[in-house]
Amino acid sequence: MLLRPWFGSPRAWRVSLLWAGLLLAPCLALPQAAPSAALKNTDSPAKPAAKTSAKTADAKPVAAGPLVKSYGSASAPIKLDVFTDYQCPSCRNFYQSSLRQLIVSDYITSGKVYLVHHDFPLQAHMYSGLAARWANAAARVGQFPEVEAALYDNQDAWGASGDIAKYVAAAISAADFKRVDALVKSCESPAPTSSWDHGDPLAKDPHPCPFDYAVRDDIELGYKIPVQATPTYVITYKGQKLPAGSGTVSWPILKQFFDSLLAQQ
Amino acid sequence: MDSHQSSNKWGKRLLIIGRIALGIVFVVAAYMKMKPQPGMAWSWASIETSLSMFAMGVDSYQILPPWAVSLVAHWLPPFELFLGLWLLAGLGLRASSLIAALLICGFFVAMTSAYRRGLTISCGCFGPGEQIGPKRLIEEGVMLLPLALAVCIGAFLMAKKEQEGDQSPLEATVGLGDTARR
Repeated sequence: MLLRPWFGSPRAWRVSLLWAGLLLAPCLALPQAAPSAALKNTDSPAKPAAKTSAKTADAKPVAAGPLVKSYGSASAPIKLDVFTDYQCPSCRNFYQSSLRQLIVSDYITSGKVYLVHHDFPLQAHMYSGLAARWANAAARVGQFPEVEAALYDNQDAWGASGDIAKYVAAAISAADFKRVDALVKSCESPAPTSSWDHGDPLAKDPHPCPFDYAVRDDIELGYKIPVQATPTYVITYKGQKLPAGSGTVSWPILKQFFDSLLAQQ
Repeated sequence: MDSHQSSNKWGKRLLIIGRIALGIVFVVAAYMKMKPQPGMAWSWASIETSLSMFAMGVDSYQILPPWAVSLVAHWLPPFELFLGLWLLAGLGLRASSLIAALLICGFFVAMTSAYRRGLTISCGCFGPGEQIGPKRLIEEGVMLLPLALAVCIGAFLMAKKEQEGDQSPLEATVGLGDTARR
């Protein structure tokens, strides 16, 4: 009876609401302990940044088909689909600050994460379609990781001159380059790119390159996400697709997210 | 009814509506950031995953170092929830509305900075997926920021009015009350 007037007053409800907030906020912030600990070990599994073929040798793509642009095991609980444009500076940053560390980390080698590259060359970039063609030709001969690294590491140079062959040749063996070069030179049509109207990238091309179909498939998959900017990434955990994200994410933060997913029951 | 009393009454009503709207915005924003991802049940682990996903959004702004990104991403949503409930409670409105206005100001500056740097990234304001662009900037700059500023200014005016007796808030601010009486 004594409490009744107090609980009946509007001020009492306000105080209760404020106390609820005060109690809830610190409780919800408690899980921060785990990621902080994870951040301390950010550099341990990652080997020095891979620049050439020798350094990415332990992260060879799995043999899942004739044109492989993925790293790790397809049965991994986490799948990371990345849509990028070789001439986009943010994509280069994402690769250099995060994906490169991921590729050589135990997340890939121990089958925790499956990384899949998807081409999404933007119309605005003059050579991005051609760069994607070189990367896909390299994927045909099993040299995708080396060429991908070379394209990002020398983006400014070939982006200005258009001379992609020079940097691909420097990244792989002479024999492999000969095969990749032959594949690219067999293509007469312009390289496919994405477009604002979401049209078929090969619609106007009567004789597309055999591996241009792979680029087209990536672009059309990107339209469905939808990819609004590059880089865009989609993370799938145990078959459940999470909302797509875009922009550069640094390795410690990406690693923290993987750890939180792997900690799920 | 006295015109001062009438305007005062309407001012109070508008302030209540404003602070409730602002409170709801913060509670919804916190909920959207903390709610479990598709296929996950409510648990500490799932909230932690959602906050880690929010961290990726914060990181994409390329403003803070990773350790600060993690700190902000794990404390901001719970703080938004607390601030939302604080605004809804209506206690210490000057402090809560000032914090809310500063917070929204900070978000607006961060978004404008990202947009000016040509970053086509997710805003992260109400969870993942919302891209930063003119539409989002207008929503934040024309709707949320003025609302927060109005509630903040209104709270200070009301408090001043209560201190100064029955002067209307506008009169108390610009000093017209005394002139009118004279």
